[in-house]
Amino acid sequence: MLRMPKFKVLNPATVAEAVDAIQQVEGSRFIAGGTDINPNLKHRLLEPECLVALNGVEEIFGISQTEFGLRIGAMESLTNVETNTLIQQLAPGLASASRQVSGPQLRNMGTIGGNVMLDTRCKWYNQTYFWRKSLGFCLKKDGDVCHVIKGGSKCVAAASNDTAAALSTLQAELEFANAQGSTRIAIDKLWQADGIWNKKVGPHDLLVAIHLPAALLNQKGSYKKLRDRNSIDFPLLGIAARLKISDNIVDDCALCVVALQARPWPLDKASALLIGTTVGSDAFNEALKACCAIAAKQCRPMPNIPGDHAYRHAMVPVFIRRAILSCLD
Amino acid sequence: MRVFHLKINGDTVDVAAPEHYTLLEILRYELGLTGSKQGCDKGDCGSCTVQVDGVPMLSCLVLPSTVESKAITTIEGLAVQHRSDGGEGASLLQNAFDAAGALQCGFCQPGMIMSAQALLESNATPNRDDIKQALAGNLCRCTGYTQIYTAVESAAKDGGENGCS
Amino acid sequence: MAARDKHGPDAPWGDGFKVIGKPNRKVDALAKATGEAIYTDDISLPNMLHSKTLRSPHAHAKILSIDTSKAEALEGVYAVLVGSELPIKYGVIPWTPDENVLATDKVRFIGDEVAAVAAIDEDTAIEACELIEVEYELLETIVTAEQALVTPEPPIHDDRKKRNNISKHVELEFGDVDAQVDDADLVVENDYYFHSTTHTAIEPHCAVATFGNDGRLTLWSSTQITHYVHRALSRVLEMDPAKIRVIQPNVGGGFGGKSDPFALEFITAMLSKKSGRPVKMLWTREEVFYAHRGRHSMQMHYRTTAKSDGTITSVDAKLLIDGGAYSSFGLVTTYYSGQLLTGPYAFPNYRFDSTRVFTNRPPCGPKRGHGSVQPRFAFEVQLDEVATKLDIDPIEIRRKNFLGENTTTINGQRITSNGFLECLDAVEEASDWKSKHRKMRYGTGIGVAGSMYISGTNYPVYPNKMPQAGVQLKVDRSGLVTVFTGGNDIGQGSNSMVAYCVAEEMGINPDSIKVVAADTDLCPVDLGAYSSRVTFMVGNAAIDAARKMRNKIVEAVAEHWKVEKESVRIIDGTVYNLDNDEETLSQREAFHVTEEKFDTLGSTGSYNTPTLGGDYRGGTIGSSPAYSFTSHVAEVDIDTETGEIEVKKIWVAHDCGRALNPILVKGQIEGSTYMGAAEVSLENYEMNRFSLHAGPSLLDYRIPTTLDTAEIEALIVESIDPEGPYGAKEAGEGPLHSAIPAVANAIYDAVGIRLRELPFTPAKVLAALKEKDEVTADA
Repeated sequence: MLRMPKFKVLNPATVAEAVDAIQQVEGSRFIAGGTDINPNLKHRLLEPECLVALNGVEEIFGISQTEFGLRIGAMESLTNVETNTLIQQLAPGLASASRQVSGPQLRNMGTIGGNVMLDTRCKWYNQTYFWRKSLGFCLKKDGDVCHVIKGGSKCVAAASNDTAAALSTLQAELEFANAQGSTRIAIDKLWQADGIWNKKVGPHDLLVAIHLPAALLNQKGSYKKLRDRNSIDFPLLGIAARLKISDNIVDDCALCVVALQARPWPLDKASALLIGTTVGSDAFNEALKACCAIAAKQCRPMPNIPGDHAYRHAMVPVFIRRAILSCLD
Repeated sequence: MRVFHLKINGDTVDVAAPEHYTLLEILRYELGLTGSKQGCDKGDCGSCTVQVDGVPMLSCLVLPSTVESKAITTIEGLAVQHRSDGGEGASLLQNAFDAAGALQCGFCQPGMIMSAQALLESNATPNRDDIKQALAGNLCRCTGYTQIYTAVESAAKDGGENGCS
Repeated sequence: MAARDKHGPDAPWGDGFKVIGKPNRKVDALAKATGEAIYTDDISLPNMLHSKTLRSPHAHAKILSIDTSKAEALEGVYAVLVGSELPIKYGVIPWTPDENVLATDKVRFIGDEVAAVAAIDEDTAIEACELIEVEYELLETIVTAEQALVTPEPPIHDDRKKRNNISKHVELEFGDVDAQVDDADLVVENDYYFHSTTHTAIEPHCAVATFGNDGRLTLWSSTQITHYVHRALSRVLEMDPAKIRVIQPNVGGGFGGKSDPFALEFITAMLSKKSGRPVKMLWTREEVFYAHRGRHSMQMHYRTTAKSDGTITSVDAKLLIDGGAYSSFGLVTTYYSGQLLTGPYAFPNYRFDSTRVFTNRPPCGPKRGHGSVQPRFAFEVQLDEVATKLDIDPIEIRRKNFLGENTTTINGQRITSNGFLECLDAVEEASDWKSKHRKMRYGTGIGVAGSMYISGTNYPVYPNKMPQAGVQLKVDRSGLVTVFTGGNDIGQGSNSMVAYCVAEEMGINPDSIKVVAADTDLCPVDLGAYSSRVTFMVGNAAIDAARKMRNKIVEAVAEHWKVEKESVRIIDGTVYNLDNDEETLSQREAFHVTEEKFDTLGSTGSYNTPTLGGDYRGGTIGSSPAYSFTSHVAEVDIDTETGEIEVKKIWVAHDCGRALNPILVKGQIEGSTYMGAAEVSLENYEMNRFSLHAGPSLLDYRIPTTLDTAEIEALIVESIDPEGPYGAKEAGEGPLHSAIPAVANAIYDAVGIRLRELPFTPAKVLAALKEKDEVTADA
């Protein structure tokens, strides 16, 4: 059996204990549902001496309406997010994205917080130690070459978190805790274009909760995912859409794409084109075409994850249109 | 080494094992509960599926310390439960798998049955699509799945008629 | 001398079957459903060590030195093994032994085995492997089959007579193929490509060995071929085979992926010998991918000539087969790639020219439908093109060229029963073909294909005149009948099949039978679960043994009752006197009466094939005592915007001779069809530019989930074979073949594109649609 590296596990009961525990041993990592980090540990992509398990921290569970909008505890499983009636009603795009993550057992285990904090993925990286060693490792771990881009010096492993795209369209705010206290950061400000670590917070910042602002709730939303199988697979391309429609007019629109490069990518220029058009009108149809075309220009898939990247590129406009139209069903 | 306090198939057990062992390794190699299988090493196949508080999870990706307060049910636990409910032999669902021919090599089936059992507990009358969705994380290489659907449907029907699982 | 009697297809008592043809439970399914069934990795012996293998990170290299001293010094390490300790080569085909347990002089692919360690646990064994220092000298890597063809140096195997990278070349011509071209009304000629795919049994390979102080070796292994493993161990370990016991526990799927002897079987044996303790080795999923032996990729060129009425006049084939780094079954694969295409259609003239080459990638071998799935795909697509060009219904053209029953193929294969026409009728009706073909809306379509496959072969891998299958019966005073068979139940249900045959023949209930299988100390030899031979051969052997025992029981009871033997009948475990309703004996009582007369009860049965095959070199390869026939109809829905192919439904009719248990037969038909359909666009055993498998995991090698599998309707056709056990033929491999071309042909019906290169990725579909639109626009 593929073995785990040796580590010890701490099991804190509170956020305060957790952020304290993570500092006790250099290089410690949090573990939420374990569906991302455990395969990565088995692949020796990480070799922390200590893991801090979050499943016993009650404060980071729960889904509830708040003054701000909707609070989703980071440890809620993807199954809970997908089947929660509040989320289904108020944030249908997020429910849809959650439903399309991996397979049933992994959604029972994997958490919304874990999906946001998911490590980037690359077909030259998510492999065993033996496999990676056979071709001299790579930039992201243990090596200094990039197998995706010849001569590349910047890691382009792909953000592959389905729910991050949906959360971007909902302008989610992420609440982090660390030894210094608590901070909130807008999800679109979380990312940096570096496949090695694509977040501006560090691995010792604990994602406590996701807050969805009330103004963007209760609108139309969808998530369209390109993948070879209808279960288990990571996205080859993922498009989230949110539409606000009043009197058949598009009041607001947001689009976000994942599984291209190191960070989820909000497509603001493309989505802006639809605003103000009347659904079904010629203007709407023209705007939709232009929106798809401009998105296709903006998105440049790379041969970083499995699948033909030219094909993934060709699917960008198709999936954008389908995501938008699916909001109108 | 660490002592894990686990509740497995109704038993309370203390297991001393290295901390980096997964729940699957504890079950198979420390406790001799070899019914849960290992097929892919890392959460891709579903053969190691067990229930944690009734919810199907992949034991190859579970750290034992994270399930210490929870009820773990493995394939060996189904017949135990069935008998404590007054039944004889194997459970209704296990019998249905046998009758439908759903078991060829049998290697994926403990995991498959644990997923199917959880489905039937939350939805006593699943349709074909519900079954496909519930089993979409359990790879079977032998059957092409049809006889598995038949087994689950027949167990649901018989369970409905007999009022037990 | 082994019994050669033909049992005939009829019920033993002449008044209908009691067990055969009924949906009986399997002998082992409940144990599997409850987790009781023991597979190899479930075995744990006292004091057992765990072992791991050091593998080559280079695709092609000479080994200059191996230093194991640091590994040996590590605490918890009990034995280290290198190739020079086991220099004798082996291979499943005795003519091409080219594998070493561990590399002696060079490594031939990334993942090739170099050294092994037994330690207190896997973690320590892994750590020790990493301490072994190997010095390599890199050699040019042969990445592709084309490269291998034109690159004799460096030869991947440099100890063969010829210095080149050709593994096997076969060229055979029957009739005069070229002479048909001028006279033909139609010539269709195209290139086709079938990619490599792999078995992906869910159970990874595992072996446990214990070398006793008495010098005896016991090996438990997840194998399909206990007997060949037994022979190979004896050869490589230079041991008396009588001191080796090989046991196959429950196997979690094989599909051909466990039908070679594998290094872990020898490694655990040797490490146990060296350490004096039992040793286990469990491969990771990644290691299973490196062991491979899956479907060969084939580049194929086919030319078919036909008359305007659709009659085929000749078929010409040229194939380039990528064998990977070792021979495995490659000699047979090369023959099968041509020999098995000569039905279910009559080929008046036929030629094939097949070349298998060595490349620096994991070795290919037999995957379900060994060697014949790839040519079947190419030819059935080409036949569809012939039908289209001649404006003939694709089912009609298949009927038109039907080979017939009780006949001989152009290459000399004897055909007995043949239910192919009934298969075509069945799928035509069930799929509502006539109202769908060429009549569905754009984007949806329906396609058909047909195929044939062997039920075992009379080529027994190593030449010998002994039976191919043997069965022993032990009849106990308790009433239990124990059946000993060397047959390998790998999930297909062969142990159940044996129980059904014995129960039917003896007139007893399958519940009163216990099957002991695949243990070389206890069971008579059977050659193994490959070539779809088990039902046909082991079934016949079981009937043979059971019939002899029944005759003894009838004789003893007749004497006991003082009646004629014709008056004694055994029905469902009770013996009746047909002359006297009052007089009966229980099974147990009857066994006592029989034992009193004949002493301790036992019987043996065996099966060997009749002399078969064409009178030319290689003429026996592919000759089978009976052939199964299949037809698939697939209905597809193409998303013309994404290129995604959704196979909505597949109807499959399979002529299995007689269904000994219809549930098990349907399971084989459905499982085969599912596996074939998965090869169309999903599965791809793909190498990257480093000649390393692109994603050796069940995440990246994508086998279908419930949500990716078409609805499959399995239809059983029973042609009742004159020599099969109660008329049965194979069902485990044939029903894979035509699934693939049926989908390809359905895609043509749906959107008018003719795809000839597998896998049919969405990108390829889109490219072909675009090309078609451009052609249409130009016209």
